[in-house]
Amino acid sequence: MLARFGARAMAALWAGKLTAGLSRGLRRGGGTTLPGDVSRWVDPRILTTLTRSLDQGAVVVTGTNGKTTTAALLRHILEAQGRRTVANQAGANLIFGVTAALVNRASWSGGLDANVGLFEIDEASLPRLVQEIAPGTIIVTNLFRDQLDRYGELETTAAHIRRALTQGPEGVTAVLNADDPMVAALGDGLPRVVYAGLDDPSLLQPELSHGADAKFCPRCGSAFVFEGVYFGHVGHYHCPRGDFARPSPDVRASSVAIEGMERMRLRISDGAHETGFDVPLSGLYNAYNVVLAVAAAQAMGVSIASSAAALRNFTPAFGRMEHTVVDGRPAVLLLAKNPTGFNEVLRTAIQFGKARSFLIALNDRIADGRDVSWIWDVDFEQLKDVAGHIVVSGDRALDLRVRLKYAEIPDDRIEVVSDWRLALRRASEATADGQTIFVLPTYTAMLELRAVLTRDGALQPYWKGRPVDAKP
Amino acid sequence: MLRIAHLYADEMNIYGDRGNILTLQKRAEWRGIRVEVRAIGRGPAPDLSDIDLIFWGGGQDRDQELVFTDAAAHKVDAIREAIHGGAVVLAVCGGYQLLGEYYVTADGKKLPGLALADLHTVPGARRNIGNIVIETRDLGLQPPTLVGFENHSGKTYLGAGLRPLGQVIRGAGNNGEDATEGVAAGNVFGTYLHGSLLPKNPHFADFLLLRALQRRGPVRFEALDDTMEMAAHNAVRERIGARR
Repeated sequence: MLARFGARAMAALWAGKLTAGLSRGLRRGGGTTLPGDVSRWVDPRILTTLTRSLDQGAVVVTGTNGKTTTAALLRHILEAQGRRTVANQAGANLIFGVTAALVNRASWSGGLDANVGLFEIDEASLPRLVQEIAPGTIIVTNLFRDQLDRYGELETTAAHIRRALTQGPEGVTAVLNADDPMVAALGDGLPRVVYAGLDDPSLLQPELSHGADAKFCPRCGSAFVFEGVYFGHVGHYHCPRGDFARPSPDVRASSVAIEGMERMRLRISDGAHETGFDVPLSGLYNAYNVVLAVAAAQAMGVSIASSAAALRNFTPAFGRMEHTVVDGRPAVLLLAKNPTGFNEVLRTAIQFGKARSFLIALNDRIADGRDVSWIWDVDFEQLKDVAGHIVVSGDRALDLRVRLKYAEIPDDRIEVVSDWRLALRRASEATADGQTIFVLPTYTAMLELRAVLTRDGALQPYWKGRPVDAKP
Repeated sequence: MLRIAHLYADEMNIYGDRGNILTLQKRAEWRGIRVEVRAIGRGPAPDLSDIDLIFWGGGQDRDQELVFTDAAAHKVDAIREAIHGGAVVLAVCGGYQLLGEYYVTADGKKLPGLALADLHTVPGARRNIGNIVIETRDLGLQPPTLVGFENHSGKTYLGAGLRPLGQVIRGAGNNGEDATEGVAAGNVFGTYLHGSLLPKNPHFADFLLLRALQRRGPVRFEALDDTMEMAAHNAVRERIGARR
């Protein structure tokens, strides 16, 4: 499929592709965003031009947690149907990252051997992306406090998304998490909404956790009544004055059974059909990613039975429940970047992974959020009775060390090791036979730890990991 | 026995303020002092006369408005009485703004505050975000520095004769203009520092605890080993070049 390309678009494409080649040649990483910057500088309309040739349109995924995994799950489903997808790299989720993905994938003449685009996008960049690529489907996973120094407050984030949804292209389908009150409220007045959620009361917890945010009715401000939560403020809720209640999900998981760190079984129904799913992921938060991806796929014409068949052999996205080996010990990388994400990762590791040995790494770069206050909203108290050994590392290891002291985890189980290589070695040495190391880093800490593991040969560089879009 | 009231724990808690409560609580408990933390939400205020320390933190703009309205309607008298009886107040970020005479929102709405201190807050053109170090003067803190993270667009101005909590060494502070940060008015303390504030400033946590406990008479208050807390404190100072 060849888009109609003007001279300016062609110049932009070439400039971007040359930048990508140079970036890889100089070993400056995979060129996951810089080619996007360059192309957009030459032609600000390059993204619109490139996406025009996607005959099945584009899907965008936004929200605080689960963007990467939800996009990867949906991509896996669509590819199993023979659809050819183009997607941005995990974490390269600003508009430049999306542009770079398309520039890398396009041929030198502007051809694109893909018919559907799948892009995860930062909440604040959503309105602009929607304007530029007019997606057919927008998925919103959840909204939690995250990097307040960078994004501002949750209300601001929700306003960005609302603007994108209400000003979105005609015929756009919003796929929303019914169980997150702030996300569900975004569906108000939209013509095409698909709600997805969990309906397994056996997994509901009575208490809101410390990272819970959406506690008040968006219409009248009354405190919501929660029948129970699956985590954070995600659960079954209603306004006591009857002003707002959890919408009944169109696509729902009626049961979720998590088996260790490696797999879970779900029963997902769309009202007409119910199908058993067997997915190589763990944790309730991943059950949401699955049900959202399945709901989006269904809105795009893929039956839930086909999704179930496809997801049996799904492979987790990099750093998100990625399995590896550190100095001879099995290890699992679990990105943990905000209170609710961290709490759920900890709960999953403890409950389903029988975790005893941890490496926790806290950085405060721009991509992590420079404010580390949020670690005080993480329930590290969960570790008190289970952690045999914790290595603490990263730019703000000392803040984390103080946090663990106030969680009253005994001193002799905690070590501060600032050098990444040494931190990994200490974690490995302190891990008993048959045990796994649970590595919980913030975003840039994960990139740096991965770089060390890549040098060791334990992992592939991130731009070669799945999903791969850059051509060699 | 130490009684802490955590005001608006559900509405004003976005900047890790749980760290402040946890620090006060643990540092008292580690000294053998029993602690009761009472969470107080919106609605008619319970009696606060037996409370030793009142804390409230920062919230989102929308919740801030809910809280200002509620505080003026239901809380101001009870808080005044508690302060009169010797209770200590610590208010952080949005909570600090609530201490004052009034607060003007970004869209120009003027919300009356609790008027517990002669200060007011107006919207600023830019948001002050970053690590901050201040130096306190007359509180007898050793070291005199406090470290934290600030994130606010409101500019706060103190009335004549009112003492700030400290002078800014690095960062913006109250308004980015007069190098003042926070307020120290008798037993009422307000500040923009979170991060959380107290875990990395254990000397200030102890200062507040001691003030709150002493209203019932002399107390035995042993020193704790603060090596880890002060290492984190010093790391922030070094990180932003505020180490002399």
